[in-house]
Amino acid sequence: MLNDTEADVRTDAAIKIAAMFFIAIMFLAVTTDPIATGTQVNERAPALEGMMYNGSGWSSFNMQDYITSNWTSEDRVSPWLLVDFMDTDCPYCYRATGTVYDDSMYFMKYSNTHPAYPGIAPWDGPVVNFVGSATELDIPDHETSRDEIKAFRDKSGSEMCNQGNSACDARDGGVHRFPYIDDIDQDNMKAWKVSGTPQYYLVQPDGIVAWRSIDSNGETVADAILRLAGGQP
Amino acid sequence: MVDQNIILLGYIVPLAFGAYLLTPASSSVASSMPTLHSKRRRLMAGLNLTLLIGFIVSVHTLWISNKISEGAAVCSTATVFSCDDVLGNTQYNTDPVFGISWGLLGMLAFGLLLFFANSVSKEPDALWARRYMQFGMVLTAGGMGVIALLVSYEVRMEKICQFCTTAHAANIIGLFGFWRAGKMMDAGEWNDKEAKEASKSGGGRS
Repeated sequence: MLNDTEADVRTDAAIKIAAMFFIAIMFLAVTTDPIATGTQVNERAPALEGMMYNGSGWSSFNMQDYITSNWTSEDRVSPWLLVDFMDTDCPYCYRATGTVYDDSMYFMKYSNTHPAYPGIAPWDGPVVNFVGSATELDIPDHETSRDEIKAFRDKSGSEMCNQGNSACDARDGGVHRFPYIDDIDQDNMKAWKVSGTPQYYLVQPDGIVAWRSIDSNGETVADAILRLAGGQP
Repeated sequence: MVDQNIILLGYIVPLAFGAYLLTPASSSVASSMPTLHSKRRRLMAGLNLTLLIGFIVSVHTLWISNKISEGAAVCSTATVFSCDDVLGNTQYNTDPVFGISWGLLGMLAFGLLLFFANSVSKEPDALWARRYMQFGMVLTAGGMGVIALLVSYEVRMEKICQFCTTAHAANIIGLFGFWRAGKMMDAGEWNDKEAKEASKSGGGRS
């Protein structure tokens, strides 16, 4: 090496920088265990925010407010979150409203019974907060509005849902006692990479996706909550 | 866990010293530190130190991002200075093109800048030295756009990530250093030997 007159300091510098980079990456690998952000199961759910209608008016919603960052699986108190991506003009969403109502009433502990599970004991697991994210799919006859979202939730007004074929107040189930986020601009839908509606995501209290309907193999929302959220019905 | 702001101070002090070495006022250290007798040596030492701090702060930022993704709270406060709120915001904590964490991007950028600065420090009279200083200046100038984007995120969130701000400061100081190196080359002040001899004769610039 002493006689190598062609040696270039750039090689020396590059090796030093690469070594420094390697040490930094090793340090990060040893001391942290990062969780990727995404909507696959076991990934950290992306942001979910916007203006929400909760029955009394529009106010801001941020999923972060629902997150218990130091949650552990032994914690049976911190609330879970069920995100319902829907469109007021989507026929499937319109037909699912009765089931969504039954599930939300039972798992939010407003009701001690669940019509789909006769004889079931009152839900003793953690509260599962439901939240609807109402979007407007890029399909003809799917034009929606805040008034329509409000009518869909409250079963009120004269707005038409289900591609304009049915009155919003004629949908199945009672008034949904959970907030609906205005996602007409599809911001949340795109962030969560939702390809169609309805799609449901069960989110753990720490913000990790525990289950999603798109790869549920027929398992219903209620079955998934009963299996994962730790209740003893 | 050690208060993150104390750790941050450990970055700010050497960064401030690095910035000081880049200024003409640094000539006063030449007498106490003979290895920094010339303006060029002080400039390159300051530049290397600044970029090294930028690299380390970027590693720390990525570490905080990873910890937050695990669910930990590292530097969460109710004040405007809360890096947890900034680095934990999944909407803004990755670059909008590749989805890479800003900390990792900072590591890559400062690593490359360190390569330029380190190479030139060792071979200041090489034919490629001027080109490397120009690359460094272009890269740090491009970093200003990224800083503007990140500051706009912080304004939107109404929170400031102090570690990110330190990395931004390292980029700005680095830009100044690369610009000053170019100026010295243009002004014929780049020759270490000449400066030393001039200094010995009592009439030279230090």
